[in-house]
Amino acid sequence: MKFLGLTALALVLLSIEAVIVKSFGFDVTRIDVCVAIIVYAGLRGTTLEGAFTAFAVGYLLDVLTGRPTGLYPFLGVLVFLIARATAQLVDGRSRVAFAIFTAAATFGHALLAFLFTWLTSRSGEGRVLTLSGLPLQVLLASVVAFLLYPVLKRIEPGERPKPGLLQ
Amino acid sequence: MFSLFQRWREPLIVVGLMLAPMVSFLSSGHRGREPNLADRAVLATSAPIQSVLTWAISSVTGGVSGYVALRGSHDEALECRTQLSESHAELNSLKEAEAENARLKAALSYTEGTAEPEILARVIGVNPSSQFQSVRINRGESDGVRVGMPVVTPDGVVGQVIRSVSSSADVMLLTDAASRIGAVIQRNRVRASVVGAGDGRELSLEFIRREDELVDNDVVITAGTDGVFPSGLPIGTVRSVSRPNVGMFLGGRITPAVDIDRVEEVLIIPVARASSVAERKEGTR
Repeated sequence: MKFLGLTALALVLLSIEAVIVKSFGFDVTRIDVCVAIIVYAGLRGTTLEGAFTAFAVGYLLDVLTGRPTGLYPFLGVLVFLIARATAQLVDGRSRVAFAIFTAAATFGHALLAFLFTWLTSRSGEGRVLTLSGLPLQVLLASVVAFLLYPVLKRIEPGERPKPGLLQ
Repeated sequence: MFSLFQRWREPLIVVGLMLAPMVSFLSSGHRGREPNLADRAVLATSAPIQSVLTWAISSVTGGVSGYVALRGSHDEALECRTQLSESHAELNSLKEAEAENARLKAALSYTEGTAEPEILARVIGVNPSSQFQSVRINRGESDGVRVGMPVVTPDGVVGQVIRSVSSSADVMLLTDAASRIGAVIQRNRVRASVVGAGDGRELSLEFIRREDELVDNDVVITAGTDGVFPSGLPIGTVRSVSRPNVGMFLGGRITPAVDIDRVEEVLIIPVARASSVAERKEGTR
């Protein structure tokens, strides 16, 4: 149920993001709403449910890019695992900590997306320029994470049952 | 064996969830796949949300800007009337030229291809990843939109349809790093290739021989040699020219003729109507 709730929320937020970005002309950057949901799943959900949520959210992002390749489901699960591993060292359950976690995850997610796209495209020259909007993207993602926290908590209120990366 | 799987069940499933899309990505690269049933369901769900939101935002902004525009509208109306009179005069002379052109073509037994009406579409969203420069429009397969069709506005080229589902389609913008358009310089008919810079704002000009002439403010139009865009559509204006010390070609930066950030409505030219999505499995590549 939580998996479905978070996935449906991701679909709605991605659809809204697409329209808002178009309407306000943020052509150089995006608001990474999906990373916030993946990080939340990493901090709060169980391993299996969180991994499936990260995969599903990444899949939605992949489909909505117009050129689905499988990159974003892979990155979704990877970011989920990294968030889960980092949560062993740092407590990210408060609202502010969650926003900072999301900012860091957005930065990593964007860099990895750039790296993998660059590796598989014939001409990587133009891709470098897409990173110019990254600082604003990180800032917007952390703001959105801060605002989304109460909504996410309503969908998935539970604390993580056991410590450990894959337990 | 089964107990081993039971013991490592969770890690195996998580690793499987990560590796399956990774393998798909490495096998297809950045080209993308044809939309499957699940993709179509996701797109069919999100398209109405985007259409409603776009309508709501344009209604509000339209209402506000309409009210603001009322101030000074009388002066604007007078100016428009003058411009309209001038346009009528220009139209008449163009009609004369068209009639003369038709007579000459008939004399030379030139046959014009059947022109189908363009499909008008509204931009309902941009894609949520900054890695790709593409927008979503509210016309799809059911309206006759097919992969590979060129997308334009009255100002010039916007891009090319890269995916079409029942009620929506995705358009790769000409500023995308994967976009290539056959072009000519309008002034001297020098051939070139226009490539997206990937930043959503600029284009690069490639493959112009060193001995050819290229200057700032040259207008670049489609050559009609790429099999996608008809000839004569404005692409942009040359902003700067680079002459490297070595190599065979000149380089240049172009400002697109269309303000990509602000494009609201587009026209899809049905030149590739004969080729359906199924027939064009290489379409997104």
